[in-house]
Amino acid sequence: MIDNPVWIVPQSIIILAIAILVGTMLPGFERKIQARIQQRIGPPILTPGFWTLFKFAYKKKVSPNSLMPGLYVSLPPISISLLLIILLFTSPPFMALFPRERVVSNIPTVFSPIAWYTVLGWSSVIAVVGLLKVEELMYVFMGSLSHSVLSLDMPIPDLASGAKVAGFRREYMEQQSAVRAFKMIGVGSFPIYIALIVPFTLAKSVFVVDLVRLQNPGWFASGSFALSLASLPQRPNILTFPGAIAAIAYFIGFMMLLSEKPFSILKAKMDVIEGPMLEYGAIYRSFVYLLRESVMFVLASVFVTFFIGIPLDPFQPLLLAIHLLLVFLFIAFEAVMAAFSPILTFKQIYPFSFTMSAMAMFALLLAAVM
Amino acid sequence: MAEEVKVVEKEIPIGLVHPALLEPFRIRFFVSDEIVKDCEITLNPAHRGIERLMEGKPYEKASVIVEKICGICSSSHLWSSVKMVEMGLKIHVPERAQYIRTIVQELQRTTSHLIFLGHAMEVVGHETFAMRAFLLREMFMDLLYYISGSRVHPTAQILGGVRPRCDIPPSLGKVILETVDRAEDAIAKYVERLLADPLVMSRVTGVGILDYNTAMRLHAVGPTGRASGVKFDWRKDPVQNPAYKPFDFNMVVLDWCDTKARVATRALEIFEQFKILRQAVKNMPDGPVIDRTWRMGRMDFSHGYLEAPRGEVYHSTSLDDHGLVRNYKIRTPSCTNLPSMEEACIGDHLTDAVLTIASCDPCLSCTNRFTVVDLRRDKTRVMTGVEIIGKYGRRRTR
Repeated sequence: MIDNPVWIVPQSIIILAIAILVGTMLPGFERKIQARIQQRIGPPILTPGFWTLFKFAYKKKVSPNSLMPGLYVSLPPISISLLLIILLFTSPPFMALFPRERVVSNIPTVFSPIAWYTVLGWSSVIAVVGLLKVEELMYVFMGSLSHSVLSLDMPIPDLASGAKVAGFRREYMEQQSAVRAFKMIGVGSFPIYIALIVPFTLAKSVFVVDLVRLQNPGWFASGSFALSLASLPQRPNILTFPGAIAAIAYFIGFMMLLSEKPFSILKAKMDVIEGPMLEYGAIYRSFVYLLRESVMFVLASVFVTFFIGIPLDPFQPLLLAIHLLLVFLFIAFEAVMAAFSPILTFKQIYPFSFTMSAMAMFALLLAAVM
Repeated sequence: MAEEVKVVEKEIPIGLVHPALLEPFRIRFFVSDEIVKDCEITLNPAHRGIERLMEGKPYEKASVIVEKICGICSSSHLWSSVKMVEMGLKIHVPERAQYIRTIVQELQRTTSHLIFLGHAMEVVGHETFAMRAFLLREMFMDLLYYISGSRVHPTAQILGGVRPRCDIPPSLGKVILETVDRAEDAIAKYVERLLADPLVMSRVTGVGILDYNTAMRLHAVGPTGRASGVKFDWRKDPVQNPAYKPFDFNMVVLDWCDTKARVATRALEIFEQFKILRQAVKNMPDGPVIDRTWRMGRMDFSHGYLEAPRGEVYHSTSLDDHGLVRNYKIRTPSCTNLPSMEEACIGDHLTDAVLTIASCDPCLSCTNRFTVVDLRRDKTRVMTGVEIIGKYGRRRTR
């Protein structure tokens, strides 16, 4: 029974359900905070993230104006899947596959010691970084494939005699955002990837389970459904010097990956509007919103697991509540920063990213010698 | 000699429908990577034919249409138009009416500058500063409502004075003064925070350069010109605008020549407007607000210049023997600022270029009357910036 890999299925479903349900609240929470800062009431918490999904899902389907519409509409679901896989890799059902100190007294079958780890061995920083990179690449594809009516297809006699037209290659504005997405892969995402490596360097392991065990040995010792404070982290990475620096770099990198202000040049409203996501309508738009919610929840959850040492364990209610609270707190920081920031151009993003990367590298070196 | 070929990587068209553009127009950016090498603004879709609508109408009816040219500077258009006819027909305007006209105009200029700040911050991407500016604007929208019964179109100015319903009793004057006091503190804090914000300043400093010589050559008007060191303000002209003669205020002229300067000029002008408002309310003379002794009749070509929130607004017309409008012509400030906008954004990052255009505060639906349609050849043609200036611009040679 304990070794039955089938148990991994309900475990995964529970984790994904929590992620999606909580994730749908995050945009509303973010908008509410920003609205309060701006002396507005703001929308109800569930409207921007939860009800919006249904609103768009029930709209009449509109085929996107794209070179490859089928591929274009399938990119957000693929990205969502990648993100949710990252979440599963960093959550206890997968980490608990290690048959180590974990005491499984209450519900032993829930924490099956086999399955994914033994099959893939992916519950590590390599998987997280690799999948995030693929997720980032999706925006380049989206931007390249999108041909919005708001750009070149708008009928306007701007090619009249006297117009400056001859000899220029005309491009859809989304293609510009694809170029920006590519630049962000090259430059913008450096801080988060370096920052991700720091906690693993402190743990001297590439596996998530070792990282959590270093910060939170009590959690390994406690049983499921335990309400004891002993399962709280004893040595969170964020309280170490390199960990704290890496946490800041991670947060900045998170903003960059989320394409949130001040790093939302990818979808800067004033020129490329929604950028790669411009052509998604109806149910495809729902997936775009769900993608953003997934990025928010997964990266916030990964932060709590990697830097604070509280994994997303659905079988420990106290730990789960604290984990979700910290996720909301993380998003609150993001909302405040976005509310007080303009959109930066690459002129500012390059030095900013360089500084953050340098900070993260410094933290990495410190972590290596510690 | 072979013609020089401009090599630009690609063209990014923005508009007609676009969240950064408040009105339907088209910006064509010719960019290399992210850097704008050239720019063209096309206005065609917003042509409303207002001048044609007024043709043959009694002036009193035409003046109502004039106010509908713009929703932000409606008072400027109406006052400029009314002033033009008053000058042509030599109609006397009571002094109290001039004061009330000035108050309405300056209140609307304040709302315009605040909406500019809000829009500029929206384009910068700073939602909080944008929302704050819109919130501050509400105080002045309320004042316009108290004075005229309308937030957007006060319709205060009529031939010979102002509408009697727009008279300002002492109690309302007190409300205006209190609101100005309250707003001045709030706006001062806002401007201080805005100009001290390092992230916002990194976006606006040193971008969208429009130097003095270029501004003069391209006939930049209003705060756009004054932000490039052009010392000109129609309110300081006692012949065209005698209503401003009693008031002591400064012309805000900056020589930074960039987007920051254009933002700062408008922000600092708000405080000069408060000076005018305070003086106007405190020193308002008693007496009638309208003189109805005039008689409508033939008027040869007359013209009127006024300093609208965006700069020089020009109205001209003639009236026939029955007082019907003949050949009405309007030139809005955005018209002469168009070439400046196109020029200023060259060399900017693409995202900054949209901001540069927004920082010139374009009001293009009011402007669009420049489509050249050749019916014989069934062709349309876009006028170049120099052509527009040559045909419609008024050189400041004096």
